[in-house]
Amino acid sequence: MMAAVGAPEVISQLESAAKVLMAPPSMVSTEQRQHAEHIFLSFRKSKSPFAVCKHILETSKVDYVLFQAATAIMEAVVREWILLEKNSIESLRTFLLTYVLQRPNLQKYVREQILLAVAVIVKRGSLDKSIDCKSIFHEVSQLISSGNPTVQTLACSILTALLSEFSSSTKTSNIGLSMEFHGSCKRIFQEDDLRQIFMLTMEVLQEFSRRENLNAQMSCVFQRYLALANQVLSWNFLPPNLGRHYIAMFEATQNVMLKPTESWRETLLDHRVMDLFFTVHRKIREDSDMAQDSLQCLAQLASMHGPIFPDESAQVTYLAHLVEGLLNMINGIEIEDSEAVGISNIISNLISTFPRSVLTALPNELFASFINCLTLLTCSFGRSAALEEVLDKDDMVYMEAYDKLLESWLTLVQEDEHFPRGCFVQPAVQVFNSYIQCHLAAPDGTRNLTANGVASHEEEEINELQEDDRELFSDQLASIGMLGRIAADHCIPLLTGLLEDRVTRLHGQLQRHQQHLMASADPGTVDRKVLDDLYEDIHWLILVSGYLLADDPQGETPLIPSEVMEYSIKHSTEVDINTTLQLLGSPGEKATSIPGCNRTDSVIRLLSAVLRTSEVESRATRASLTELLSPQMGKDIVWFLRRWAKTYLLVDEKLYGQISIPLSTAFGADTEGAQWIVGYLLEKVINNLSVWSSEPELANDTVELLVTLVEKRERANIVVQCENWWNLAKQFASRSPPLHMLSSTVQRTLMKALVLGGFAHMDSDTKQQYWAEVLHPLQQRFLNLINQENFAQICQEEAVKQEIVATLEALCGIAEATQIDNVASLFSFLMDFLSSCIGLMEVYRNSPETVNLIIEVFVEVAHKQICYLGETKSMKLYEVCLTLLQVYSKNNLGRKRLDVAAEEDQYQDLLLIMELLTNLLSKEFIDFSDTDEVFRGQEQSSGAGRAVSAADVVLYGVNIVLPLMSQDLLKFPSLCNQYYKLITFICEIFPEKIPQLPEELFKSLMCSLELGMTSMSSEISQLCLEALSPLAEQCAKTQEKDTPLFIATRHFLKLVFDMLVLQKHNTEMTVAAGEALYTLVCLHQAEYSELVETLLSNQRDAVIYQRLADAFNSLTASSTPPTMDRKQKVAFLKSLEEFVANVGGLLCVK
Amino acid sequence: MADLDTDFTSGDAGASLTFPMQCSGLRKNGFVVLKGRPCKIVEMSTSKTGKHGHAKVHLVGIDIFTGKKNEDICPSTHNMDVPNIKRLDYQLVGITDGYLSLLKDNGDLREDLKLPEGDLGKEIESKFESGDEFLVSVLAAMGEECPIAIKPMSS
Repeated sequence: MMAAVGAPEVISQLESAAKVLMAPPSMVSTEQRQHAEHIFLSFRKSKSPFAVCKHILETSKVDYVLFQAATAIMEAVVREWILLEKNSIESLRTFLLTYVLQRPNLQKYVREQILLAVAVIVKRGSLDKSIDCKSIFHEVSQLISSGNPTVQTLACSILTALLSEFSSSTKTSNIGLSMEFHGSCKRIFQEDDLRQIFMLTMEVLQEFSRRENLNAQMSCVFQRYLALANQVLSWNFLPPNLGRHYIAMFEATQNVMLKPTESWRETLLDHRVMDLFFTVHRKIREDSDMAQDSLQCLAQLASMHGPIFPDESAQVTYLAHLVEGLLNMINGIEIEDSEAVGISNIISNLISTFPRSVLTALPNELFASFINCLTLLTCSFGRSAALEEVLDKDDMVYMEAYDKLLESWLTLVQEDEHFPRGCFVQPAVQVFNSYIQCHLAAPDGTRNLTANGVASHEEEEINELQEDDRELFSDQLASIGMLGRIAADHCIPLLTGLLEDRVTRLHGQLQRHQQHLMASADPGTVDRKVLDDLYEDIHWLILVSGYLLADDPQGETPLIPSEVMEYSIKHSTEVDINTTLQLLGSPGEKATSIPGCNRTDSVIRLLSAVLRTSEVESRATRASLTELLSPQMGKDIVWFLRRWAKTYLLVDEKLYGQISIPLSTAFGADTEGAQWIVGYLLEKVINNLSVWSSEPELANDTVELLVTLVEKRERANIVVQCENWWNLAKQFASRSPPLHMLSSTVQRTLMKALVLGGFAHMDSDTKQQYWAEVLHPLQQRFLNLINQENFAQICQEEAVKQEIVATLEALCGIAEATQIDNVASLFSFLMDFLSSCIGLMEVYRNSPETVNLIIEVFVEVAHKQICYLGETKSMKLYEVCLTLLQVYSKNNLGRKRLDVAAEEDQYQDLLLIMELLTNLLSKEFIDFSDTDEVFRGQEQSSGAGRAVSAADVVLYGVNIVLPLMSQDLLKFPSLCNQYYKLITFICEIFPEKIPQLPEELFKSLMCSLELGMTSMSSEISQLCLEALSPLAEQCAKTQEKDTPLFIATRHFLKLVFDMLVLQKHNTEMTVAAGEALYTLVCLHQAEYSELVETLLSNQRDAVIYQRLADAFNSLTASSTPPTMDRKQKVAFLKSLEEFVANVGGLLCVK
Repeated sequence: MADLDTDFTSGDAGASLTFPMQCSGLRKNGFVVLKGRPCKIVEMSTSKTGKHGHAKVHLVGIDIFTGKKNEDICPSTHNMDVPNIKRLDYQLVGITDGYLSLLKDNGDLREDLKLPEGDLGKEIESKFESGDEFLVSVLAAMGEECPIAIKPMSS
């Protein structure tokens, strides 16, 4: 099209199209806009547009047209590379460069685009030995030495463009070449040209850093070169000889640690490089933008590792120089706000990069100064972070820096055996003290004080979504807790003293309020300021104590931290055990009023300080002062007690090399102390549940403490001996106030705890009595209710519904309490309910939330119990689930949902049904029952043959679910995940059932698989790939051709083939895709050969053709002819890995 | 409007119109009386004033008869009224002068409910005229009754 018209016509056409594109949206129509876009697109595709483009660049005044001309040149050069004369490419490059040089006033985006074209030409030419592109560096260095800021800026832009092009990252232009090409370019570039760029940059920085005054323009140039240096130091170096398949991925450009190749040794180990960056930073540190770059350069240098260091001593020398430079830089300056994060990055990088052995090899004095400096910096950042919080700043730079430094401390002290003994104790004391100080109110602390000492106190609205401090600051608290352990001698008594003092004051304050209330009886007049300050102090003291005394590992049994254990042992000779126990056992008394209180175990005394807090709280509730209390403090107390109990209560001596006598005497098995404290905790739980039913989170934390007390058999044995426990059980069973006012989740967990407790050790009479108290009333009330004659009439009444809902919640709680040793009795108990529940599905079909809850009971039972059930029991469960599905399906017919703008929770029932089906299927994977062993003695002889199988139930369920799942619904992540999990399971477990599905269902199942494979997250794509192998195997088994499944798998072969061979894919998926490909290849060998042939015939380059052909040959060499044999499959997967490494980068194009 | 006397004779004697419940015990999709009107709770969230404050519950409800939105915020310890809601399905046997003739389970006829206005009313009328057999769901709460949906006859 362009060839047909002369250059002036082209220009005027492009210029008017540009006018349309630049016009405000209201001035042009969509068609006009599309037409204009089309003009540019076809212009860029025109053949050999070089002459026209040059003409445009020289004559047009419209920036956008200039920009498009540059783009057209770039695209055409790449497209027509092999057809072009080498010297015409060379002259094109010179033209572009000269063009830019001669026009200093070009629009920035036009200039950058032209330089990009230059960079692309250089890169494309770099593998073409016939073209000399090296001259560009010579030209650039001449530009730099010109001393003209404009020209120097231009030089910097050229270098930046080259860097982006060669980085092989997301910044790299799409030029339609293989990843292997990109990788090779990068590798050659980083060994030589990159270093040259770095040297040029260093020269400029050197030059500028010598100048006394920099005017605005020069400082601007300076800044650009500094940014360039940062870009070089953040280069993601490709290792020289690692497998090619790394090339197939575009690398990240952020948070790259500096790992240069060996050839950089001379350059980067030269101290002058590092010194220059320190000098530069000193010069520009007041300019916050530039300071960020210079500090980032230093942080990159602090992360340097790898083959660049010839040996450890080189590392030590380098680190020593770095640390010296850092200390010189920090000491004697007042740190700017904008420096905080950068400095903490340097420190955090060097602590996490350099091995301990290198750190300890530093000269002693230097190491000591470094630790000292780190200590002061941490304390100072902590204080500034606290100020930021008071001022409620949006940008919390000090908080970020403080987090970084605390994290570094954790790294250091976790391996403190490498360091001189005790070298972190004093630093730990200081950091700990400053943390405490920042979190306490005046006069002891500085909380909420602004810089000039003015207190600020604002009450803000806090919504339920805001995380609790214990989660929000968990990283900080973990570090502070760890430092507290390192300096236990100081920190444990400090916390104890502060907490005891606050509790005494709280007690006094509450008493004054009580007197005041009795006099005036108006709680509105109470000034809460003093109370709130005390609550906040106690809040932080308890959080720190909790993190110091115990860890909270998920799943495993937490151990008493060794530092705490050693601390207690070390002082045990000075401790009077009886006084310690007395102190522990009298939470109602002031600790200091107990004679000899200074000769007690400090670890126990810290716990008892929390118990004293708890006691003041409980007494206040009894005195009807609940309104004055802080629910937050209530949460803190039960949170602490739970964490503590998991670790210390009934401490198991076998787990420790040495044990503290006070701890084992107070909390060991069979001790009075342990019994007393279990009783105390139980009383606390009961009190909380009745007083705090209106505070959902506090009630939840409380009931979780209860679960902790009974989930371990040893603890439960003590719990069930308490009369209170039985009272709690009775009270809950009677469903009366105050327990029935608790939220449904809390009630559910409470039920779980009560059931867990029932499996503690009791004699058989007691046990029978227990179940009679806990479970039977539930059954009785339920049966009485639903068997009432007028149930049909009253069932919709709110009170009746609530009773039903409470029962269903309780059933979920019971299912949740399932363990291997109680499943027999719980299963039988729950089964009795399940059929009645199905009846309720009918009754409450108009009440979705009740229907959901009923399905949830089934989900929970299947989830928790099916893995333990033997054949007969499983079948019973399948049967009842099938009935549930039938009723659900019947009630769903004709049911309309509000689809438009529907919310996810509208589909809760669908999600639950899928969850139920998945849970039923999971038995095929996880099955702990080889026989009905756990049910021995109560099993009737089982009927011959299976009446209902898992397959029946699940396929019936799929018949319901599939038609309901639409593409729109797959947009909800939870529904989407559950759906794909389910269909993958089905394909894997019952592939033989898939061909039997009705045609429509079969089609939609296949569509779902394709959709999931191609356009969902990688997780779902992987699930779908896993579903393909069993389907293909199924086809192979039946040997029937032309079945719908056979045809479908042929289609999948092409999809998987393209995915593996042609597309950039997640390497994690190679295995799943490879397995699928192999079975599909076995099934459709001819089609596979065809695919390979087609691919090869598209290759024009003979060398590449041969490489590909060889690669395909060796891919199937070990498995010819391919058969569904495990050994062959494994061999194929191995060859596939090599195949991807070898030619993956060749076929994947950017 | 429903006659209270007929309510008593139909076996609901003593059932109160509402009962109290602690605010924290309410839940989404449940019912509550807001501004004197029976509402379905469509939104429920808690908040507190200051870190050591007590929980407050923010409720948004839709009037089950008028569809009007009501909101309230109150301490979570407060008791709120929960309306007793009843939902009954009747077969429609006739429409006279804008009143529905509905067949009760026991064979009695009630003719005290108006044909609702709006789309639902039109749908009822047109379906009835075309000879469809169907059920009308009637919602009753706090002495008020209103047809709210139609359903096919379950066979």
